[in-house]
Amino acid sequence: MHLKIDGIDFSYTSTPVLHDVSLELEGPRFVSILGPNGVGKSTLIHCINKILTPTKGTVFIDGKDVKETTIKDLAKEVGYVPYSANDTFPLSVVDTVLMGRHPHSKWKSLDSDLDLVYETLKRLGIEHLAMRSFSELSAGQHQKVMLARGLVQEPKILLLDEPTSNLDVRHQLDVTKMLKSLAYDKNMLVIMISHDINIAAKYADEIIMLNDGTIYAVGTPQEVITEDNLRVVYGVKSKIIDDDGAPHVILKDAIPMNEDIRRADDVEVGKQQEVEAGP
Amino acid sequence: MTFGNRSSNVTGTKADYYRKRRLNVLFIIAFTVLAVASFFITIGFGTYHISLFDSLQVFIDHLTGNIRDETADLYIWEYRVPRALGAILVGCSLSIAGVIMQNDFRNPLAEPYTMGISSGAFMGAILSIVFGISLIPFLSGIWGMVGNSFLFSLLPVAIIVVIGRFKKMTPGLMILTGIAILFMFSSITQIIMVTAPAETMADAYAWRVGSLDRIRWDHLPVIAPLVIALCILLWFFYKRLNVMYAGDKPSQTMGVEAQKTRMVTLVLASLLTATTVSFTGTIGFIGLVGPHVARIFVGSDNRYLIPAAAAFGSAFIILADTVAKVSGPDGLPVGVISSMVGGPLFIWILVRQRKSAWM
Repeated sequence: MHLKIDGIDFSYTSTPVLHDVSLELEGPRFVSILGPNGVGKSTLIHCINKILTPTKGTVFIDGKDVKETTIKDLAKEVGYVPYSANDTFPLSVVDTVLMGRHPHSKWKSLDSDLDLVYETLKRLGIEHLAMRSFSELSAGQHQKVMLARGLVQEPKILLLDEPTSNLDVRHQLDVTKMLKSLAYDKNMLVIMISHDINIAAKYADEIIMLNDGTIYAVGTPQEVITEDNLRVVYGVKSKIIDDDGAPHVILKDAIPMNEDIRRADDVEVGKQQEVEAGP
Repeated sequence: MTFGNRSSNVTGTKADYYRKRRLNVLFIIAFTVLAVASFFITIGFGTYHISLFDSLQVFIDHLTGNIRDETADLYIWEYRVPRALGAILVGCSLSIAGVIMQNDFRNPLAEPYTMGISSGAFMGAILSIVFGISLIPFLSGIWGMVGNSFLFSLLPVAIIVVIGRFKKMTPGLMILTGIAILFMFSSITQIIMVTAPAETMADAYAWRVGSLDRIRWDHLPVIAPLVIALCILLWFFYKRLNVMYAGDKPSQTMGVEAQKTRMVTLVLASLLTATTVSFTGTIGFIGLVGPHVARIFVGSDNRYLIPAAAAFGSAFIILADTVAKVSGPDGLPVGVISSMVGGPLFIWILVRQRKSAWM
């Protein structure tokens, strides 16, 4: 599968969020989107899966404009794991995960769908929750259930909005590692928004760093996770050490909020890059 | 259901899931049996005294064409049977409309009248009761009133659909619009009632409370096909409604256009409510409680929730109407009984239930 974002802009009524974002990605690959709060990470993802329509520019999936694709057809191609759950009337965990099969559902597909659901629950280590009510679960368990829902959808592109934010460290590592192996096992393009730079750096094949609604840097973790980039994008002083080939960030200090983090000599670094990525 | 031929490591747990489903079907059957039993109980009660067994005999005699007691046959066949069938249809329609409204608005407080359907229906009825106006030509008397309240009850949802063409309506915005329309209609109705002649007040009041004693055989060919068709139609939305539990954005990424589904089911549920309300007046409570009681037993999967709510709602309305018929010298409107008996019962259920089925 091939994802091409061609010069998209997005504004919420009067507030511009994304400006001229272009990107090309090809799977199987595990991609992480980094960037501070409010920079447009979720907006970018929502432009890919048609929850939002860009004010300018086009998104192509396998050469096809998503605007021309029906909601149901797009759901077969692109899966989405939201940041948090707000289900009003709770179903059982199995029924919640079964929702993910909806775009593929046929009249007599329940039994094979159930096999897939239970396999996925097992893979995530939550098969013991199968018959529990979704509302009784913890925030971390909610995230795993929503992840399972995205996985049984068997999309070609899986978009995840901070899928590990409520998980403890063991599960963060485990889920992120699983997402990476999933990309290659199932031949998927997995794109994950993350706030944990080190976990992204450890597992991602590629990192997209957003700043001020544009792509600030794209590339391998080594290329993107640099002390300069973190200072400009996140406003932090840091030290990067090498951890078996992956950069590891040690945070030193926040640059005071009233200080301009972007000095004149940084501007050049912010030049937009476009990347042609292959397997 | 066969599940012995799959890889053995998952069959054990899958069997749990199938067991829960079979249990849900059993609950639906149990509620249906209760409704059918209530039907045979209710035809034994009313102002004309007859034993339960005798009333059953009269019912069977009529079906076999061997009428022995003309008077009993008249009371039971002409009044009680259509009234009981009406009760079933009212229970089904209000409970299913309640399920749909709660789903569409993602709100456990939503019920069939949330959109102002009852206030619209009442205003239509008042126009007919006080002024004798019929909006549909060639209709007069009771049919004129039914036609009026049917049309007026659909106004709120029509207004919301029209606004929705220009502005994106969130569930919250829809409820607020519905409430605004409700107040508008009630105030117009109040003005009419204040200026209306006193002798029409009793009729207006009787309509307001909601009663089944106006249901006759010749109403059923209108109510029954509409109610049955709409209920079946709404059931077929169960998959989409289930996916919508995840929220509008996630459901879109699973291939369900939530807003479109919401609008379509809302219009269908309003038609369903309007159909029965325009004949019976506003029977409260069941549209809110029917779905919740059903949820406690079968959970929120709409595949089972919709039929379970319908069956429970029918049984509840028939039993409430049975009590209503024998209360006081001339009986009371069923709307009074359903709230008076149902209120404490519902609170008891809420307190007793082990875990919350919603919120």
